[in-house]
Amino acid sequence: MPTKNVTDERISKFKNKGKDPAKLREKRITECVELRKAHKNESFLKRRNITLSSLPDEEALSPDYLSNEIATILSIEEIIKDVNSDRKESQTRGCQAARKLLSQERNPPLKEIIDAGLLSRFVSFLSMDDEPTLQFEAAWALTNIASGTSWHTQQVVEHGAVPAFISLLASPMLHISEQAVWALGNIAGDGAAYRDVLIECNVIPALLARISPETPVGYLRNLTWTLSNLCRNKNPFPPLSAVMQVLPSLIQLLHLSDKDILSDACWAISYLSDGDNDRIEVVVKTGIVSRLVELMSHGELSVMTPALRSIGNIVSGSDLQTQMAIDAGVLDVLPQLMRHPKASVQKEAAWALSNIAAGPCKQIQQLITCGLLPPLVEQLRSGDFKTQREAVWAVTNFTSGGTVEQVVNLVQSGALEAIINLLQVKDAKVILVILDAINNMFMAAEKLGETEKLSLLVEELGGLDRIEMLQNHDNDMVYQAAHNLIEKYFGDDDVEGVKVDTNDDAFAFQCSDEQRTFEF
Amino acid sequence: MGKKQNTKGKRDSQESQEEPEEFVVEKVLDQLAWDILADNTWEPEENLDCPELISAFLESQKNIKEKPAPVKRKASTDEPETEAKRKDVAEKPRGFARNLDPERIIGATDSSGELMFLMKWKDSDEADLVPAREANTRCPQVVISFYEERLTWHSCPEDEAQ
Repeated sequence: MPTKNVTDERISKFKNKGKDPAKLREKRITECVELRKAHKNESFLKRRNITLSSLPDEEALSPDYLSNEIATILSIEEIIKDVNSDRKESQTRGCQAARKLLSQERNPPLKEIIDAGLLSRFVSFLSMDDEPTLQFEAAWALTNIASGTSWHTQQVVEHGAVPAFISLLASPMLHISEQAVWALGNIAGDGAAYRDVLIECNVIPALLARISPETPVGYLRNLTWTLSNLCRNKNPFPPLSAVMQVLPSLIQLLHLSDKDILSDACWAISYLSDGDNDRIEVVVKTGIVSRLVELMSHGELSVMTPALRSIGNIVSGSDLQTQMAIDAGVLDVLPQLMRHPKASVQKEAAWALSNIAAGPCKQIQQLITCGLLPPLVEQLRSGDFKTQREAVWAVTNFTSGGTVEQVVNLVQSGALEAIINLLQVKDAKVILVILDAINNMFMAAEKLGETEKLSLLVEELGGLDRIEMLQNHDNDMVYQAAHNLIEKYFGDDDVEGVKVDTNDDAFAFQCSDEQRTFEF
Repeated sequence: MGKKQNTKGKRDSQESQEEPEEFVVEKVLDQLAWDILADNTWEPEENLDCPELISAFLESQKNIKEKPAPVKRKASTDEPETEAKRKDVAEKPRGFARNLDPERIIGATDSSGELMFLMKWKDSDEADLVPAREANTRCPQVVISFYEERLTWHSCPEDEAQ
């Protein structure tokens, strides 16, 4: 005993060993937060570049000396003087000071700068080709104002920035052209209205002209993002003519390897494919489907997510469009995505699967062949609720479009048991979809004259109890559907002309024409 | 024959028959409506008056859709995960942030209000301005070289008086 105490004492002196893991974790988090705060304060102080010429630098940077707001107001007064002056040097200085304020991480004074009436001057600076520094600072300042709310963006547009920025795209100074790309991206991202204004102003050819083998990666990243915003938003969709203009370049960009470019290019495709089948057709006609399926396996979540979304959109189209995705190998990739650690990925994969399962039985057969049933059942059993909801749709669609044999296959895979276990969820819509699936399974059983067997199986799996309880559900449609099921398949005791063939616990479905038996 | 199975909402509608009594049900219907209609109107186009052929046909098509056909569902309205607008906060790497080694200072200016050095970097043609106070701590020897190169000696007042 004494020995044990000595050992305990010694162990408690070590930094980590012998300490309560929860306490250790708490300690680590606290330390991490302290470090982060200290670092943040340090960089915040560095970034506050207050142009108070009368004060030496150290004092200006001290938070004790001036509160941030007062400093900002004083700064803006200086800025107004400078920007409104006639001297290029002052204008540049003022513009740069404004840009720095507007680049602050927290609460950049967008409204204050707008209210100070500086926007017209900034926009006029954009056209001063002989003063590139001034152009650049003005472009940067306006970019950040346009990054605010719709109101902020509106101010920028209403002061005539759009034609000026489009002209700047052609600037021989790459960093200025790039700034214009960014600003236009913010304006396009505001919504369909400004997006279409830009398109009307022929922004697309001007942007596409900047793509060349020599274009630096950073520039291409900004460009791709801006292009994606021009593809974004519905009500209305972008004009088809604009889409046709952009697509070839998007395809080019999709074959690069930079992850940021790939991510934004995939998002663009996801926006373009998020529509009716005509929109999807325009996309798949480019032949991009293979590359999208490839990108579904990309190591970066930021690339894989929009690639998966794009393919999900494509398989929500016609059977032919869906077949293109299947031919490109989507069914080989889907299982691992259905098992992905991130719930949202699992959910999207299940959604895509549910749409493929809404196809003809030939495609359903491909689902079975490519081993999509086991991951589907796993999702039904242990996915998070949103994933389970999509998986349930997959089951119902499967039972609706599948052949009798395919439906039996589905039941054998454990899907029936899994959906029965989901009958206790609160979501009435999901319950209805499950009851639909069960109903469809009974219809398949009817073809084989084996409804009795299925009823027994459902009962054995606890389904009868649950469905009986659902007859008391609040939702009318649920109660109705449950009631119908009970009446049709769990009502009478008499067995009408059904070939019964039980061997112990095995439930055999026997087909009247052929000697196949399906065992559970 | 293919017609009966293609009742998905997305497919193009097949042309309906010219005869007024027959028509092909193409829209997606719910279970109840389907049950009602199936009894009355669901007939293969070729077999209008041959019930034996009809039932034989039924038997051979085990995947007959008496059930409501599945409809493809479009993307949910969850917002995409990319920003629609982006603020440009990055200080474009200038000066020491470019992580290059200082080679030598080639000029100085204080027109911005603060003393700045024009720094030539190793392995780069692009020189840019850095604040003197930063250079003083980061590369004092380079700063000293700059000043030493430009030291000028003034003659003392006695010599000038001569």
